[in-house]
Amino acid sequence: MGLCDRLARISLNATGGNATTAAAQAALGRMAEAMAHRNTPDGEPTTRTLLRRVLDTADPRTPQRPGSARACSPSVHSSQRRRSLGSAQRALLETTSYKRLSNQTKATARRRSYRARAIGQWSHVQASGHLEEQTPRTLLKNILLTAPESSIVMPESAVQPVQEPQVVQPSRRESSRGSLELQFPEFEPPVTLAPGLLAPGRRKQRLRLSVFQQGVDQDLPLSQEPHGNTDASSFTSSLNLTFATPLQPQSVQRPGLARRPPTRRPVDVGAFLQDLRDTSQASVPLGDSHRTPVATLPTDTVLEDTQPFSHPLVSHRTWSNVPELQNNSSGKPAQSLAGRAEEVNVLDVGFPNTSSGISGEGGLESLEVGISEKAEERMEEGLSVSEVKEATGVQGSAREEEHEGHTEITEAEGSQGAIEAMEPEGSSRDEDTSSGTASPELASSTPEFLRARQLHLELSPPTSAADLGSEPLEPLSVRLPPRSRTARPRPRQDPYKAGLSHYAKLFSFYAKMPMEKKALEMVEKCLDKYFQHLCDDLEVFAAHAGRKTVRPEDLELLMRRQGLVTDQVSLYVLVERHLPLEYRQLLIPCAFSGNSVFPAQ
Amino acid sequence: MEGDEADEQQQFSYRQRLKAAVHYTVGCLCEEVASDKEMQFSKQTIAAISEVTFRQCELFAKDLEMFARHAKRSTINTEDVKLLARRSNSLLKFITEKNEEITQFNLEQKAKKKKKLEDGNKNSREAAEAGTEESET
Repeated sequence: MGLCDRLARISLNATGGNATTAAAQAALGRMAEAMAHRNTPDGEPTTRTLLRRVLDTADPRTPQRPGSARACSPSVHSSQRRRSLGSAQRALLETTSYKRLSNQTKATARRRSYRARAIGQWSHVQASGHLEEQTPRTLLKNILLTAPESSIVMPESAVQPVQEPQVVQPSRRESSRGSLELQFPEFEPPVTLAPGLLAPGRRKQRLRLSVFQQGVDQDLPLSQEPHGNTDASSFTSSLNLTFATPLQPQSVQRPGLARRPPTRRPVDVGAFLQDLRDTSQASVPLGDSHRTPVATLPTDTVLEDTQPFSHPLVSHRTWSNVPELQNNSSGKPAQSLAGRAEEVNVLDVGFPNTSSGISGEGGLESLEVGISEKAEERMEEGLSVSEVKEATGVQGSAREEEHEGHTEITEAEGSQGAIEAMEPEGSSRDEDTSSGTASPELASSTPEFLRARQLHLELSPPTSAADLGSEPLEPLSVRLPPRSRTARPRPRQDPYKAGLSHYAKLFSFYAKMPMEKKALEMVEKCLDKYFQHLCDDLEVFAAHAGRKTVRPEDLELLMRRQGLVTDQVSLYVLVERHLPLEYRQLLIPCAFSGNSVFPAQ
Repeated sequence: MEGDEADEQQQFSYRQRLKAAVHYTVGCLCEEVASDKEMQFSKQTIAAISEVTFRQCELFAKDLEMFARHAKRSTINTEDVKLLARRSNSLLKFITEKNEEITQFNLEQKAKKKKKLEDGNKNSREAAEAGTEESET
């Protein structure tokens, strides 16, 4: 059988090249054994066998004597190897294509596993001494890495893929093919493969296409190709051996972390602020100057681009968030981003605050004053500072609100966390206004970040600012100067649930059926209550622990009660599953241990 | 292995006994309500209520333990109970009132004890002083 012959030849070559070691020979023996075992009972050459043949016929050089081996091989064995390899490859290709026609995925999977195994075994035979050359091992490895999962192409469509590699080929000629005889029928795959292999910078030898062609031509008649070239081409095409360099994301240390590609587009702060300005001018801004927000601005701006939650929250409820977020932000501007909720909150606060700052309403001025105060106190990022300043610059000169805002800000200043801020403000607010109005507002403020936390939002581009409308936080407006109040009544309803509309849309999307408007409204109401409840719980949990800040422990307790975190599933597991890498490193203390972070933070 | 099985059986029988106790209590309460509202309770209803109560008690226990641990305590407090009952307003009110009653009662008890102690101390002090005086003199 050809296999045995090839095996014998290999061993001969090896001994002749004086490059065999016990390991290599053992590997060869193992391979032969494996081949014998793996032959399909019906005798039809499987992918494995073909691949084995290929590997067998490849030059089994060992690292021990790279110089001698390399010296011997090119001149002496090249043609022979090529021929054998070509036939082996062809057979392999044919079989694979044949197999594919009959049992596509299995073949692919088998081929892959086989290749993996083969590669592993190859490593014994072809040691690092061949680094400079295109070894079958590296080629196959690249194939495995770069070939698409399901690349089964019927023979008819084989033509196109074949052409593609040809186009690619000339551009990537430099791969060293000397010893590599992976002669795929169309040559393109090997050609393109080489460049991929050499991508790391090992383009030492030129691709001797002519040599390949010769080998293939010679081997063609020998190969037992049941189907003609089309099969080979189909095989290659189905192999889809683009042989592009395997993607090595530089920043990702572990491949497992490369999850879904970020679908979010970074928020253009300038455009966003502009939008906010426009909308604020269009609608009456809410006067919740009280809340001081945002010392968190700096963090907000920083997180702007990275936080997926910021967009929907910001876009949808920038106005509504303002008061709430201000509460939250006042509570925890200085809070490190240890807590996801905090981050989101900060983000929420940041934007609304800036937006509110931009608005011409006087009520916001106090807000921005508060923001600037807080920002100065707890400046975290320089960028946010600039934003704050911008906001202040844009702001009008409603001094009355400033006083109010200042008083509230001072009140809020004492508080440390979002809940904390909410509580004093809520209590003070309650004194001034009906508690009923205050509580929903409080609740609605925290829901913002909770929403982001609870619902793993896919990033959707922020809806137009028009959605925001004027701020619905009526209760907050109670304290505002009367003139802002007068302009408020109309937008009252809309903005209050503007943020929820995003979630309602998500809901309707997942429902896969058209939904009535009333149903959507109901959903919004339910979501609202749900988030209020959630935030109240968080608040209570924090107070229960004698704290004024909501910390991740509180959130974990909440999730435990929800049943999301159990004894089997810990919070970190959920964080790993659902949050992007940036938050993982913030939330999980050791997620980044031992890694270098670029850019240095 | 056999020990585990025996334990399991013991636990199971224990649970059954508890469930039976709960069932009995629920039945009594339902009878009261039935006589009050002049409505009858079917057996299935009572059984359902008792089953739900039993399961809810388990959840309560877990939650209470979580709350206590969250507050970095190893003992379950009235605070934990109040946190647990915050959902239903009436229940929360009831529990808070009861809590206040209890605390007041405790305070009174403490006051009484203190008085007794003080009296005792005074007496002993006087006795001691008297004793010292006597000894000195």
